[in-house]
Formats: sequence, structure tokens, C-alpha cells
Amino acid sequence: MNKPKLIISSAYAAIITIIFVAVITIWAELSVPLKDWLKSFSGHHWTSKSIFSVLLYAVAAIILYLSLQKHSDDRLKRALGFLLAFTALGTVILTLFFTGHHFQLF
Amino acid sequence: MGVLEIIQSKPVLIGLHLGFAIIGIDAFLWLLWKFKDDGGSRKSSIVTASAGVAAFIASWLAGGYYYVVYYGALVKPIIKSGVAPWAHNIIMETKEHIFLFVIPLAMTVLFITLLKKEDLERLKLRRLAIWLSGAVAALGLFIGAMGFVISAAARWGAIN
Repeated sequence: MNKPKLIISSAYAAIITIIFVAVITIWAELSVPLKDWLKSFSGHHWTSKSIFSVLLYAVAAIILYLSLQKHSDDRLKRALGFLLAFTALGTVILTLFFTGHHFQLF
Repeated sequence: MGVLEIIQSKPVLIGLHLGFAIIGIDAFLWLLWKFKDDGGSRKSSIVTASAGVAAFIASWLAGGYYYVVYYGALVKPIIKSGVAPWAHNIIMETKEHIFLFVIPLAMTVLFITLLKKEDLERLKLRRLAIWLSGAVAALGLFIGAMGFVISAAARWGAIN
């Protein structure tokens, strides 16, 4: 197993998952049909998001691992740096969104 | 009352959710220290990260079951009609969604522990590994603090 490639794949799959969770969460809060569909999929919108996020992370990591041909040391560091940044960004965006949503700013 | 019923009861589920989260946070803080001090063997780092990931998954399952089965029907109405409805609208909504960041992030750190120490040095990943381990622990602590606010809001909602 190529460990640096595994780390890069996991980091980018995690970033994709964070973006997915942030986008679908905000979208579902603003779109009743989407939230209803998420509820109907598993019985609860959060359970559906949980299932999709796990599947997305696993599938994205596998596809990236199999498709990455070459990787440099810089690419590995960049992927982990991006993951750190997207984790912070995702946390801030969701906190601000629900704060704004509570105060009916959107 | 059978063992399964006890495990599925509300106080036990909350205890499992919090207890496993504390184990996960502690594991990643310990891992941060291992990366920082270059302490312990590679095997012990893998075990620590694996225990942390497993604990967060267990916390996710226990908390998720409680949230889906009990929270919406029993706790949310009390908070929404209490003195701090924002505790659900802002804190709970944020908490339940950023929790979904934890496992992919923690898995990535687990994969970093698979590297040999000389590879970690050669790839100059030690600093990033410290930051990422800290991010998992910090996210866990942030989520824990949010859980405390939600519980307090439910208590005060019930009293008032």
C-alpha cells in the first residue's frame, strides 16, 4: 500500500465530504422539498446526511487512491493544509449560517 | 428491564455519547503529544489513533440514536418553548452537522500514523500531523461544549 497516496486520497475525500455536508445542510434548510426527500430516504434528514457523508468519504477515497498516478511531497502537505483550512471554514460557515438563519437574515 | 433496554435508555445513551467522545478527544490529544515529542512507537500511535476513531464512531452511533429517537420528540420542544430557543436553532443544528466532519478528519490522521518515523520526517509532516490531531480534539471539545449548552437549555426550559 502506498501510504502517502492513501493520506492524500483521504485528505481530499474528507474535504469533499466537508463541502458536501455544508452545501446539503444549507440547501436543505432553504429548500423544503430537499429536506423532505432527505427525511423520506432514511426517516430522518440527519441520518440521511450521515449515511451519504460516510459513503461519499469512502467512495471518494477509493476512487482517488486508484486514480492518482503521481504524487509529490508538496502535494501531500498541500492536501493536509487544505483539509485543516476546510475543517475550520466548514465549522465557521455552518455556525454563521445557523446563527443568521435563527435571526432570519436568510 | 433487559440489558438492551438499559443501553437504549436516554441517560445511558447520553452517557455513552459523552463518554466515547471524551475517549476520542483524549486519544487525539495523546497522539498530538506523541507527534510533538516524537514519543512512543509507530505501533502505539496507530493503536491510539484507531482507538480514537473507534471511540468517535461509537459516540456518533450512541448520540445519533438518542438524537433521532428521543431528542426531536422530547427535548427539542422543551428547548424551543423555553428561555433559550436559540440553543436548538443555532447550537444543536451546528453541532449535529459539524460532527459529520470528525470521522473523515480522524481517519486521515490515522493514515498519517501508518507512516514510519523517518518518512514523517522526510515528508516534513510532523507539524501538520500535530495541527490535524489538535483539530480533531478541538472539534470534539467544541462539540462537547455545545452539548453542555443544549443540556442546560433543556433543563432551564423544563424548570421555567
